[in-house]
Amino acid sequence: MKTRRRQGSAALGVVVGLIYVFLLLPIVIVVLAAFNAGEYLTFPPQGFSLRWFQKFFESEPFIRSFGFSLKLALTATVISTVVGTMASFYVVRHSRKARDFLRVFHAAPMMLPGMLTGTALLIFFYTIGLGGTYSGLLLGHVLVTMPYVFLAVSTALYNFDRSLEEAARSLGAGPVTTFLRITLPLVKGGIISGAMFSFITSFDQFPISLLLSGVGMTTLPIQVFDYLRFEFDPTAAAVGTVSIAMTALVIFVTERFVGLESIYWGGK
Amino acid sequence: MAAGARRKSLTWTFLLLVPSVLLISFLLVAPYCYMVPMSFFKPGQIAGYEKVFTLANYAKALGDRYYLRILGLTVVYSVVATLACLVLGYPVAYYLARTRTRWKALLMIGILSPLLVGVVIRCYGWMVLLADSGLINSVLARLGLGPYRLMYNPFGVMLGLVHINLPFMVLSLTGSIQTIDPAFEQAARSLGASPALTFLRVTLPMSLPGVYSGTLLVFLQVVSAYAIPVLLGGFQVMMTPILVVQQVMDIFNWPFGAALAMVLFAVSGAFVFLYTRVMNRLMRGLA
Repeated sequence: MKTRRRQGSAALGVVVGLIYVFLLLPIVIVVLAAFNAGEYLTFPPQGFSLRWFQKFFESEPFIRSFGFSLKLALTATVISTVVGTMASFYVVRHSRKARDFLRVFHAAPMMLPGMLTGTALLIFFYTIGLGGTYSGLLLGHVLVTMPYVFLAVSTALYNFDRSLEEAARSLGAGPVTTFLRITLPLVKGGIISGAMFSFITSFDQFPISLLLSGVGMTTLPIQVFDYLRFEFDPTAAAVGTVSIAMTALVIFVTERFVGLESIYWGGK
Repeated sequence: MAAGARRKSLTWTFLLLVPSVLLISFLLVAPYCYMVPMSFFKPGQIAGYEKVFTLANYAKALGDRYYLRILGLTVVYSVVATLACLVLGYPVAYYLARTRTRWKALLMIGILSPLLVGVVIRCYGWMVLLADSGLINSVLARLGLGPYRLMYNPFGVMLGLVHINLPFMVLSLTGSIQTIDPAFEQAARSLGASPALTFLRVTLPMSLPGVYSGTLLVFLQVVSAYAIPVLLGGFQVMMTPILVVQQVMDIFNWPFGAALAMVLFAVSGAFVFLYTRVMNRLMRGLA
């Protein structure tokens, strides 16, 4: 019986391992293709080369869209971090009857399919005169990134021991000092991890950008998408590898600041 | 005095909510509501629409066989991809929920990291693997097999859809399985139930809340997927979201695009409603 059980768990281990391979394979392949010398990644590979990175850095459309995506993601993240943090403070600490409704309301932009939201926004923006403008695109990004900040900060606030604030107040600290010296440092983790998710969501955003960007506002994912429809060379892999490296860097820095444990287990 | 101070703080704190409520009302509620009248307007000759009431858009979306067939296929693909995610996601989630290995954090990062790579880049990874002259076919050619058509067909699209959505499924299932006390499973085993019976009568029923939220999340993502069917289907595999984007962006027929989107919304809403009723019945008795 013991051996059968061990066999069972070994089989489970193998299945789980294979599913991990399936999950991670395309990402590994992108990185391999970026460093491969040939036009196609074949077996065996044709040798190491940085020519696709060179082509990426020399390609004006890719560099321009990379810069544009960075700017858009940073701006959207700053706005949604402020707005989302404010909202979560109210919902966690001051809302009563409406709390459940408010939580769903603030998470809704994340739940609704981006393609439908994008379509609705496109029609709406053109009707009110925001169609094809940078403001429209930015507002769309703020909308879909704000829920990440809201949820992350809400989680941090739920786990917050309010007696610490009361202690500070009773020791004579004013509301501003208490907020800056006690509250903010304690929910900093939630704010930073929410901002991180917000940045990554905006930088990788596809449907909203596709539907809302106007002339001369090509984000990096849209640029890669257009490129892949007509060409198939590994410049896209080099772009992908650079984005993956950047995402990894963002996560690494976040992890150094706040630890990732708080992010993926949410409120549990 | 105390009541006055309390009242004052209430008024002030309310301001915290103003920006986000304005943002969501203006950018989510209003645009979605505006789709409803838009879908009843007459498509314009020059502009996007004319403010004339018509049912023609819905007649076309629901009466034309071309659009109906694609809608049907969209629902079929979505159901199949969701079930595939469930079948692949369950063992991983079970393992993650029960393992005591110290590599658990790393294993969680393995599930999360695909989510942090953009959808277009992940599709490109699959294109490199699945293309006619791609990696898989070049390996098969060495073995004297192929080449096989692996993308620009439903197979490639399904593979992409399952791959992109699997992490969501694993995350919801893991959360749910973790809350099941292993003592229940041990009790069933010690009373003579086989591992299969234990799974079917104890673990699976108790994890139904996670199954429900995971399948719902994945279904809603798949039914509205755009980038994956375009890149891995190469316009050979049509899904309703592709038609919506074509109507709205390329043809500038907003009313018909809005009507197609409303139909997709209504069909998936009806699906979710029925599914919720069935699952609620199955989950009766679970906390």
